[in-house]
Amino acid sequence: MTLAPSPPRLSAASTKANEAGPIAVIDGVTYRYPAGAGPALADIDVRIAGGVTLVTGPSGGGKSTLLRLLNGLVPNYHGGRIRGSTRVCGLDAISTPTHRMARSVGFVFQDPESQFVYSTVRREVAFGLENMGIAPSAMPARVEEALERVHVSELKDRRIATLSGGERQRVAIASALVLRPQLLVLDEPTSQLDPDGAAAVLFACAELAAAGTPVVISEHRLDDLLPVASTMLSISGGRIVAAGDARDGVRAMPDPPPLVDLGRRLGWPRACITIAEARTLAPALRPAAPVQRHGGAVAWAIRRLTLAHSRQAVLDGISLEGGAGEVIVLMGANGSGKTTLLRALAGLHRAESGVVERPPGRVAYLPQDPGALLYQPSVTAEVELTLRHSRSDQPASLILGELGLLDVAGSYPRDLSSGQRQRAAVAAILAGSPAIALLDEPTRGMDVQARRALGRTVRRLAAEGTSVVIATHDSDLAAEVGNRVIRLEDGQLRDLGSPWAALSGETPWATQVGRLYPGGPVTVEGALACL
Amino acid sequence: MSARATASWSAAAMVIVIAGNNPVYRVLVALAAVNLLLAARRPGRSIRGLLLLVLVAGFFSITLNLLLSHGGTHVLARLPTWLPGIGGLVSLESLAFGAGVATGVGGAALAVAPLSLVLEPHQLIDALPRALQRTGAALAGSLNLVPGIATSFVGVREAQRLRGVSAGRAGAGSVLVPVLLTAMESSVQLAEAMEARGYGSGPRTRYQSEPWTAIDVLTMMSAALAAVAFLAGQATGLALDWYPFPVLIAPHASIPMVAACALLLVPSLGKNRGLKG
Repeated sequence: MTLAPSPPRLSAASTKANEAGPIAVIDGVTYRYPAGAGPALADIDVRIAGGVTLVTGPSGGGKSTLLRLLNGLVPNYHGGRIRGSTRVCGLDAISTPTHRMARSVGFVFQDPESQFVYSTVRREVAFGLENMGIAPSAMPARVEEALERVHVSELKDRRIATLSGGERQRVAIASALVLRPQLLVLDEPTSQLDPDGAAAVLFACAELAAAGTPVVISEHRLDDLLPVASTMLSISGGRIVAAGDARDGVRAMPDPPPLVDLGRRLGWPRACITIAEARTLAPALRPAAPVQRHGGAVAWAIRRLTLAHSRQAVLDGISLEGGAGEVIVLMGANGSGKTTLLRALAGLHRAESGVVERPPGRVAYLPQDPGALLYQPSVTAEVELTLRHSRSDQPASLILGELGLLDVAGSYPRDLSSGQRQRAAVAAILAGSPAIALLDEPTRGMDVQARRALGRTVRRLAAEGTSVVIATHDSDLAAEVGNRVIRLEDGQLRDLGSPWAALSGETPWATQVGRLYPGGPVTVEGALACL
Repeated sequence: MSARATASWSAAAMVIVIAGNNPVYRVLVALAAVNLLLAARRPGRSIRGLLLLVLVAGFFSITLNLLLSHGGTHVLARLPTWLPGIGGLVSLESLAFGAGVATGVGGAALAVAPLSLVLEPHQLIDALPRALQRTGAALAGSLNLVPGIATSFVGVREAQRLRGVSAGRAGAGSVLVPVLLTAMESSVQLAEAMEARGYGSGPRTRYQSEPWTAIDVLTMMSAALAAVAFLAGQATGLALDWYPFPVLIAPHASIPMVAACALLLVPSLGKNRGLKG
């Protein structure tokens, strides 16, 4: 399913909400987690009104903590010390128990898997109503209404295990909406979704805001969110560094989305947050130089490979080769078989038929869940473990520095923010000189700086001869590091060629620059080079 | 089928399996269970794994008895006596006894299988008394985490193996610690999510009481009748136990007891009503 990215316009209702005054007022809040070395939030003063409020900032900067302040999870659930006042929907969010705040504030977490209680959609959505003691006779209509608001009524009789990532996240939103909250808060709701799933979730959020329910979203992927956001809060190091109109806010961001970055570097008079706006200002580019295909020797190959789950073929009779030092990017919808293919390359998934040829040497494999790797007492110890086992004399500080982890090198990995934890896992598996690196959604939860750092590491490894295969929804990462993009669709592979060909035009996988210059460069640097 | 009807059926089946040791009745219970599972299992649930497990358990039971039990007069083979434990005669009686035990293990596994293969976890929770509803909701959430923990175990083991961490005893911590920590983190996140949705805010209600259908009533009545009839048969000597020692004879089957077992077929007469909210 592809939903049009055009957002609904904010209605009179949300304008009225803005005029009626803020729905949340945070005054002088400083908060420290029970085991925190320093404050997670410091002197926070925030007003949240109607429309969509976007919360941005680097990983570990305090976004999730700020969001949890709005429904009282901080400090009521997490403990710790707090100073200041927070009034949300007319309630004192610090002294009111979270389960009572739940009537007024709906909260959706990053990972839908971690928030489901029941195994069927209808029952899951009704969970909040059961907790509130709503009469059973009133529940079916409320459940229907909530599912309808996010356009997933047809899923009501489905088992959650059978839903796609985008469907699960919309069911999670419906589960929050069923209590008819006055404010909806979402913590990185699209970080695990493919473009269609993410578009559907953002579309639903924009509609809710337009219908009068203020929405607060924290996200790293801003491309499609900015056009629907009315207000932006930037938080870094636990402090609000910018607050106000989203269009003004994005101009001040140190790492803005590519379109805004391009405009800033070309001196455009205003920040463009949609392709249509940018087209009026974008200069024509010189004809692009032909992109050289990677010409290295074949390092790995799969031949006529059939991969199945529960005897159902996921990928059927596929063949693909990769060169030493080549970076291949696998893209495709959730459930298209990217992870299965990576696991087969790693020798972790037995093929029904066909052949996998791997280069001699170490296979570095980053699973989707960084928690699968991390168990050492410090980030440095995690890296050193891999270096020791691979008999590498490389210092741990090399990759820690590359990935911007030196500041947290001595920290317990599981105490880090989700983005930092992801980088620690990347460092733990890419340390040394693997023969082949297989990365499954490596930028999950990462901010722009971290993604660029990952890009640098991948390029270094490729230059040293490591073959890299990345499964990702992140078009910007694919554009930055990929030599070749492979689309997985209907059980088959489609070689889309270079990122210039694969990530531009009207495809939902296109980068912002790629949409602006179809068939041309797909990164800001690429566009600047063609001026 | 409703949770209470299914639980009644499983209880009656279990009574027949464990109250006596006659393999005829145990096999009948197993057949009735397979019939019920095929008719009413949840969409997407397969009984292939369960059947495989039952067969493997049966194989081990027969093999162990064959090798370790040395009584009987119908000798099939003689193993050298210097073999510790298993040395001595291998008899048809031992084989038969092992098969009898296997019917008990398989019958018991199949008797309780409908609780997991026919019912959703929340249906079982709903069948709890009102006073236990809140605990039941937490239990339902916890049960939902179990498949994730199993997946996590596989993922961690694979990831550590590729890092070069050995899979032996020395490397056990590299797998168990992350799995345990991930499970704890998942539990904490689930608790946070439940709190954010109002869990614990007061007396709970339930989404929908399961409507009682004719087949539910019939199932409960027939299950109760089957259990009572079988126990009565045991008390009166109608439901005879079976031992292959000292003389190997075929197990006795009385028609009233076979009829009691046949009562367990009643729920599969109703059509599969599919998934319920």
